[in-house]
Amino acid sequence: MYQTTYHKGQSLDQVRKLHAELPEPSYISGGFTLIPAMKNRLAAPENLIDLRALPELRGITRDGDRLRIGAASCHAEVAGSPEVAQSIPALALLADSIGDMQVRHMGTIGGSVANNDPAADYPAAVLALGATIITDQREIAAHDFFTGMYATDLAEGEIILRIDFPVPRSAGYAKLRNPASKYAIAASFVARGSDGSVRVAVTGAGEDGVFRWFDAEQALADRFETASVEALQPDPGMMLSDLHGSAEYRAALVKVMTARAVDAQGSVDIC
Amino acid sequence: MNAHPDGGRSGNALGAGDIPQMNWDQTGPEMKMVRDALFRHVGKPVRRKEDHRLLTGKGRFTDDFLLEGQTYAAIVRSEHPHARIISISADAALAAPGVLEVLTGADMVQDGIGPLAHNPLPSTKFDMKLCAPGGGIPFVGEHHALAIDKVRHVGEAVAVVVAETPGQAADAAELVEVEYEALPHVVDSAQAAAQGAPVIWDEVPGNVFVESSFGDWDATERAFATAAHTVEADFHVSRVTAVTIEPRAAVAQYDPETGRYELFAGSGGAVKHKGELARCFGIDANRIRVHSYDVGGNFGARNRVYPEFALVMWAARRTGRPVKFTATRSEAFLTDYQGRDLRTKVALALDADGKFLAMRADNLSNVGAFCVSLSPLSKGAGLITGSYDIPVAALRARAVFTNTMCTQAYRSSGRPEVTYAIERLVELAARKLGVDPLELRRKNLVHPEQMPYRNAVGQYYDSGEYEQNMDRALELFDWDGFAARKDEASQRGKLLGRGFANYVESSIGSPKERAEIEVFDDGRIEVVIGTQPSGQGHETSFAQVVADMLQVPVERVFIIIGDTDVVSVGGGSHSGRSMRHAGTVMAMASAELLALARGHAAEMLETAADELAYADGVFHQRGTNRSVSLQDLAARLADPLRVVTDNEMHTPVFPNGAAICEVEIDPNTFHVAITRYVSVDDVGRCINPMIVHGQTHGGIAQGVGQAMWELCAIDHDSGQPIAGSFMDYGMPRTDNMPFFISEIAEVISPTNPLGVKAGGEGGTTPALATVTLAVLDALAGMGVEDIAMPLTPQAVWQAVQDAANTQAKK
Repeated sequence: MYQTTYHKGQSLDQVRKLHAELPEPSYISGGFTLIPAMKNRLAAPENLIDLRALPELRGITRDGDRLRIGAASCHAEVAGSPEVAQSIPALALLADSIGDMQVRHMGTIGGSVANNDPAADYPAAVLALGATIITDQREIAAHDFFTGMYATDLAEGEIILRIDFPVPRSAGYAKLRNPASKYAIAASFVARGSDGSVRVAVTGAGEDGVFRWFDAEQALADRFETASVEALQPDPGMMLSDLHGSAEYRAALVKVMTARAVDAQGSVDIC
Repeated sequence: MNAHPDGGRSGNALGAGDIPQMNWDQTGPEMKMVRDALFRHVGKPVRRKEDHRLLTGKGRFTDDFLLEGQTYAAIVRSEHPHARIISISADAALAAPGVLEVLTGADMVQDGIGPLAHNPLPSTKFDMKLCAPGGGIPFVGEHHALAIDKVRHVGEAVAVVVAETPGQAADAAELVEVEYEALPHVVDSAQAAAQGAPVIWDEVPGNVFVESSFGDWDATERAFATAAHTVEADFHVSRVTAVTIEPRAAVAQYDPETGRYELFAGSGGAVKHKGELARCFGIDANRIRVHSYDVGGNFGARNRVYPEFALVMWAARRTGRPVKFTATRSEAFLTDYQGRDLRTKVALALDADGKFLAMRADNLSNVGAFCVSLSPLSKGAGLITGSYDIPVAALRARAVFTNTMCTQAYRSSGRPEVTYAIERLVELAARKLGVDPLELRRKNLVHPEQMPYRNAVGQYYDSGEYEQNMDRALELFDWDGFAARKDEASQRGKLLGRGFANYVESSIGSPKERAEIEVFDDGRIEVVIGTQPSGQGHETSFAQVVADMLQVPVERVFIIIGDTDVVSVGGGSHSGRSMRHAGTVMAMASAELLALARGHAAEMLETAADELAYADGVFHQRGTNRSVSLQDLAARLADPLRVVTDNEMHTPVFPNGAAICEVEIDPNTFHVAITRYVSVDDVGRCINPMIVHGQTHGGIAQGVGQAMWELCAIDHDSGQPIAGSFMDYGMPRTDNMPFFISEIAEVISPTNPLGVKAGGEGGTTPALATVTLAVLDALAGMGVEDIAMPLTPQAVWQAVQDAANTQAKK
C-alpha cells in the first residue's frame, strides 16, 4: 500500500470540503474493494475520507411504499433490519448472503452500489426493484445509474446518501456462488411491482456488469411462472467469460437462476 | 553418551542389497521398554500441550521476531515467464526515502554467494533413484537467490531493496528499472517435453532432465501382448499450492565480530536449512544459527530454503542492520514452492478373470524453472501399483523444466498422483470387464500373508491388512444404503455419486535423527529433537512417548525444538517421518537414560544395579524401602543427567487405508456438494488418536481441496499465473466440507520399536481419486467418462456438455 492519510468524516459539509481541498482524495465506506486494491498497489489515493459516520448516510426507514436505506448501512444492518425483512424479505436475505460475517459488518450498501462490481449482489436488487439513488446532488433512477462494469452515473465527488426502494408486490433472488471468491458466478433478482410489472436484473454474468433481462421480464409479465423463463435462451454473446465460468455456462446459469428467483419470491435461493 | 547402534542392530542395518530389514531387533533395551511400557499416555487423546500457548497469542512465528534496528526487504520480481536481463538500474530506488541498499544478481556473484543448495535427488537407501536421460546425475539448474542472466518464471527475484520501513522498501522496489528481452516460454510439461519447445536451460536442450526406467519391461510387454483385457488412460494431476496461513518470512542479523549469521525463519527443519545455507554462502555451518519455532503451516512448501532466506542474511551483512522479509499473500501465491503437476499415462493388463497381470506407467513431472525436489516423482514411482498385487510393471519416470514456479514435495508427495492413476484405471477396467469395481479390487489386493510384499518396482510394503481397511470403510460409509440415498436425492432432483479408493503410501524421509534427554533437579525432563512441527502436536505426542518410557507424568516432559545452537542434528519434518524417527530415537535415548540413571542410583544406594527395580520415575532397592528418583539423581549428581542418542534408520514404512466419498450434484447448476466422507487409515501404532484424527481431517480437506477447487491456473499464451488470490484460488472451508468419519487401524509396523507408520497424509492420498470417482459416478447417466480436476461447477457443466455433444455426433 502506498502512503495514505485517513480522515474520519463527521458531516456532509466537512467531507465535501476535504474532498475539494485535499490532493488525490477518495471517499471510502466499508473499503472492501478499495482497500484490497490499495494493498495490491492498484489504487493510490493520498487521502481517504470515511463516509460511514455521516448522519445523512445512516438509518433504515419505511416511509409509505418506500423503503429508505442509508448508504452507510452495512450488510449486517440491512440483513438484520425488521423494516427490510417486513418490506422486502429477499433484500434482507440477499444482504445476509454477501461475503462472510466480517464483510457483512464492514461493507456498505452505498459502497457496493457505487463500486458496481460486476459480481456484486446489491446492483441486481437496486436495478430489479427500480430503486432511486439519492445523492448529495440529485436523484438517479437505477436504470440510469449503472453504466457498465465498475461504472456508474455518479460524478466525481458525488456522494450517495441513501437508496429508496419502492416496496414490490414480491421479490426473489437466486445466486450460484463462485467457490473461490463467493461472489456470484450468476445471480438473478426478480421483482414484481405493485402494478404487476416484472423486472429481472442479473449480476455476476454480464460482460458489462449488472443488466436487465428484458425477454424474461416480458415473458414473466405474461405468465409469472418458471416455465416462462425456461423457454428463453439468454445470449452467451453478452456474458462474461473467465476462469470460473465460460460465457456459455453463464448463459445457462442466467436462465436457471432467474427461474429459481421466480420460485423463491419472498425469499432467496443461494447455492 | 553417544550411542551409534549401527553395529548389530538389525532395524538400521546398512548392509548390501536392496531388501530392507523388516524386523527391528526385539532384544534391544528400548524394545524391552516398549514391551514393558504400560502405555499410560501412548494411545490416549492427551490434550495438546501447545494449544494454550498458540491460542493465547504466545506463539513465536517468524514475523513476531523484532530485532533491534530491524530494516525491511522488498523483492523486485520478474513479470516475464522467460526473459534475458539486459540491465538493472537501481539509481532511482537508491535515492528514494529510507533506502539503505539495492542488491542484484551481479552483486551476489561478486560477493561469492552461490546457488541455493537444494539437493533435490532423493538419496536415502530405499528411495527410487532417478538419473539423467541416458544415465548419470541429472542437471538440476542453479537456483540463485537473485536471477543473474535471465529469468525463468514469473515472480523470480531479480533485486532486493532494503529500507527503514516496509512501505519505503515496497515504494523503492517499484523504482528499480529492469530491462528485459522477452524469450519464448513454455509452461505445460507435455509441451516443454515436445520437440521444438523453448529451451529453459542451455544445458538441457530438450528440457527433460530426468529419465529413468523401473520394473521389468520385457515381462510387462509380454503380459500386455497376451492379456485378455487391457485398459489405458492419460491423466494430469493438477498443480496446487500449500496456502499456509502464515506467509513465509525471514529475519536475519549478522555479527561482524564473530562472523555469525542468525536467521529466524519458520520451516520444516532448521538444521537442514542451516546446512544448506552454509553451502550457499560457502561458509562453515557453525557460522549460522537458525531459529524455527512455531510455523503456521508447512505441507512441504516450507521444507526447502527460499531465496529470501539467503537474501536477508546477505543484506544484513551488507547493511550492518537486521533485515526482515515477510511475503504478502500475493507473493505466497506466486512464489511459494508449489505441488503436484504430474502427467501420467497408465495401462493395465488383466486376464479373463480380472486378475491383474501387468501395469505400465509413463510419468512426467513438471518441476518448474529450477529443480528443487524430485521427491514427488521418486515417491510416486515406487507406488504405481498401489495396493494391488500386480506381478510385473514397467515405468518411465521423467522430469521436465518449464517457465513456472518450482514444485516441491507437497502434502503426501507423489502419492495422491499415483493413487489417482491406479484407482481410476481399476475403475475403467471394471467397467470394461463389466464387473463390480469393488470385487475387482478385492481380487487383486495384496494380502497380509504376502507381507512384507515386494511390489513390481521393488518397494517392500512392511505390513497392512488392506482388505480389512476396505471392509471397515464400506461399513462406516453404509455402502449398501447408497441406493436408498440415491433415490432420495433423485426425488430432490439431485444426482448422488460415490467414489471408493484404496491407497498405500510410503514414508521414507531423512534417515538420521538425534534425541537429547536431560532430567533437571526440579523434575522437568527436556527432550531436544530435530523434527519441526507445524501443527502436528509434537510437543504433546513426543512427550507422551518419553513419559511412558520413563514412567513419568506427561506434564513433566518438554520438547525443545527449533534453535540450531541447541538442536545439533535433525532431519526435520517431512514424508511422515517425524513420529517414527523421533519416537524410535526417543525410545532408544530413554533406554540409555535409564541405564545411566540406574548406574548412578546403584552407586548412590550402594548396591548392585540389578538390585534396583524401576517404576514411576523411581529406582527402588528390592526388599528395602530405599529409593531414589530421577529428579533426586539430577539434583545430587555433579554432572547433568543427560543422554545424547543418534539413530539412523532407513527401512521405509507403508501406511495404507481406504476412503470413500459421496457427492451430490445439482444437475442445473452443476454445483458439487460433498455429503459423506469416510477414511480408514492404518497409521501403525497411534500415539495420540485425537491428534491423528485431526491430522487426517486436515489431510482429507487438503486432498478434497485439490480435487474440488484448488488450481494454480496459468495462462498458456502469456505464461502469467491467473489465480493469484483467494478471489480465484478456491479453498476447502468449513462451509463446503462435510463432517468426516475417520477411523484408525493400527497394524503395528515391524520396522521400528514403537511400530509407528505415519498419519495425516493418508487423508490426502486417496482423496483426489475418491472425489473424482464420486463425481463421475454421479454423472454416469449423462455419458461423462472423464473429467479433469478441479471439479468446479464450470468443469462439471463442461464435461456434461462435451458428453452430450459426443453422443449427439454418434
